[in-house]
Amino acid sequence: MELMSSQKDALTELINIGYGRAAGALSELTGYRVSLEVPQVAIHEIEKISPLLQEVVSGEVAAVNQVFNGPISGNALLMLEQDAALVLSRLFDHERAPTRGFDASAREVVTEIGNILLNACLGVFGNLLHIQVSFAVPRLHVETVDHLMHSITRDTQEGVSYGLMIQTRFNLRASDVSGYLIIVLGITSLDRLMRELDHWENRQIK
Amino acid sequence: MIPDRPVPQTDAADNAFSAHDAVLGWVKDIAPYGIFTTDTSFRIQSWNQWLATRSGMPASDIIGRVLPEHFPELVDRGIHRRYQNALRGEISVLSAALHRYLLPFPSPVADLHSPHMLQTVRIAPLVMNHQIIGTITIVEDVTERETQALILQRQQQHEHMLSRALSVLLRANDPMHGIAELFPSFVPALGIDAFFTHITKADERTLHLSASGGILARLKDDLATFAPGEGPCGVSCLNSEPVIVPDLQATTDPRYRELRSNGMRLFACFPVVIGDYLHGTLSVGSYNEISLAEDEAKFLSTLTQYLALAMERVRRETQLIAARTTLQEHAGNLEQKVRERTALLHDTIAQLESFSYTVAHDLRAPIRALQGYSEVLGEEFGHLLPAEGKLTVSRLARASKRLDVLTRDLLRFSKVARADVELAPVDVADVIEELKSEAPQTLQNAISVPASLGFAQAQRTLLQQCLANLIENAVKFAHPQRPLRITIRSEQAAERTKGVATSSLAFNPATFGSPKSTDTSAAPQGSWLRIWVEDNGIGIPDRSRSKIFGIFERSAGSENIEGTGIGLAIVARAMHQMGGFCGVESIVGQGSRFWLELPAA
Repeated sequence: MELMSSQKDALTELINIGYGRAAGALSELTGYRVSLEVPQVAIHEIEKISPLLQEVVSGEVAAVNQVFNGPISGNALLMLEQDAALVLSRLFDHERAPTRGFDASAREVVTEIGNILLNACLGVFGNLLHIQVSFAVPRLHVETVDHLMHSITRDTQEGVSYGLMIQTRFNLRASDVSGYLIIVLGITSLDRLMRELDHWENRQIK
Repeated sequence: MIPDRPVPQTDAADNAFSAHDAVLGWVKDIAPYGIFTTDTSFRIQSWNQWLATRSGMPASDIIGRVLPEHFPELVDRGIHRRYQNALRGEISVLSAALHRYLLPFPSPVADLHSPHMLQTVRIAPLVMNHQIIGTITIVEDVTERETQALILQRQQQHEHMLSRALSVLLRANDPMHGIAELFPSFVPALGIDAFFTHITKADERTLHLSASGGILARLKDDLATFAPGEGPCGVSCLNSEPVIVPDLQATTDPRYRELRSNGMRLFACFPVVIGDYLHGTLSVGSYNEISLAEDEAKFLSTLTQYLALAMERVRRETQLIAARTTLQEHAGNLEQKVRERTALLHDTIAQLESFSYTVAHDLRAPIRALQGYSEVLGEEFGHLLPAEGKLTVSRLARASKRLDVLTRDLLRFSKVARADVELAPVDVADVIEELKSEAPQTLQNAISVPASLGFAQAQRTLLQQCLANLIENAVKFAHPQRPLRITIRSEQAAERTKGVATSSLAFNPATFGSPKSTDTSAAPQGSWLRIWVEDNGIGIPDRSRSKIFGIFERSAGSENIEGTGIGLAIVARAMHQMGGFCGVESIVGQGSRFWLELPAA
């Protein structure tokens, strides 16, 4: 399935709204100004996502994931290379000693950041698309892209799955940290999402 | 949600309900983390035992209270918004690193750095029958974890600082000042503001202020010197143990008077000791902290040990350099003494030689007279004497003749010893030819020179004398039962042939004294020529071989043979004069092989 360019634009705009809210919450959290960039939105069949990611990401990744349920259900992930995750935790926690590695405390920080971002995006679906979803507790995984995608796809129940891949960049304190927001949906949920997206667009035009 | 009164049960759900009850009971009483719930107005509906114990607030006191009213800081900190989000279905995670805690409870760990319990928290909607009926909060105590992480981090930091300190101190020529270089980087990590070091000078045991930082000039003056056992470092020095004095302002000990009056609140002194030797002390102080943490004390102890090692290294190096200098001086003195003694010895020898020459020379006249008169006595008056008398007279004649020969030989030797020598290339074969031409026919036939002999750097007359004496020697000691054969050959060698040269023995009187050669080429660069004079005579026994080159020495078993024994002594002396060497190899009954070694020309 391919997105039409108009659909892509609508989705990008939607994500941007969500990110705007997330950026606000994150700025308050850290005391520094945080902004988020959304350069790209794409959709892929789930099997294609792992190889695609492995081209740009090396080593183990840290991923915060939240399962969501409702009229659309699936799995939302914020995925970062492990080094990037460590940098992000240091940028947010300014009292942290630079010699500490990606320990339990750093993982909690990344989980909170991911949680805020995912809540904002999924919340936007709820607010603007009138799709109310409920969330499960966010979890942090640290493993290879392959293993990660494997355990994610085991969770979804609907036939063929697709992943919305949104390249994301955090800007704060003169630094950039890049990662991916991935929303995994079954065909039914994706269909519903696209329909609601069209409705929303139409509402905008009016 | 934990009900205040029993919920009406249905039969089918009996088992499920009791299991449910059990879980709720566990959550309330046993759960190892805090759980509380609120309704949609944020009124607290349940408060488990964990929370009650750690907050000091029992459930009865808190149930029914409105969360943001009871803990207004949650609103100020923006956390209340998360509760509002929860009512919309959002789950929130609050990390301890970014928020420190949700609710202010006292810390379970006695730690000055964190008075409150550190908490990681999850806030979620409470759902029943697909309806959000309130919120549920889970509070996890991560204080221990974070404290451990901090301790580990400090350990790593300390280790890093110590390894840096070790390398700086071991390279420093003055380790006490090396400490001064390091301290600025240690101060923030250790919570100390001042340090000073004292050194014991080697002879005295008083302490002298060396390096310092963070103390006023006036205090420096007060700390300048201490007698052993006095001052703030006194006790530490006497016992060779660290002394830590917390809360200095509360003490009354007069030793710390100056430190107290300068506002110091903490003092610690570490003795810099290796074995029994006290190098000095390292002292630290703080104007703000009143006590020293255990890991900080350990750090300073280790640092002091490194300082001790470095100072010991410097001390030993200094001692080594001093010892080496003394040794060099002694060696220099010794060399000088040896030179003086040798010169003196040469002088003495020269005088002795001069004396013996003079004596030999002066003896000749009276000896000639003695000979003359004994001849006259025999010839003119012999016929008047009885047979015994004639015998006595002939003995007298022989004895005086012998005396003459001895003095003449001594004179010959002295002449060789006193002569100045000029070296030049000499054709050895030519010298032999000349000798042969003056010898009787039988001797000429006995001498054979199978191959060419080469050229030697020598004085021709001396070399000739040596060869003549060796040939004469061979003749004298010929084997009675076979015809004499003398073979003369030579060989060249790049280096001096190894093997004890008789003439190199230090105490051989024939060779002692410096050679009078005027050849300035010192140690010859080129090759050596060894000339062999081999005979088939009676040979020389082992025990005689080292002595035969001595003056008036005779080989054992040669007493019947005429001669004074000066011949070989002359050879040895002459070779020595020319910067050469001589020696002999021999087998008794078979013959001897005499050799002369000179620089080849």
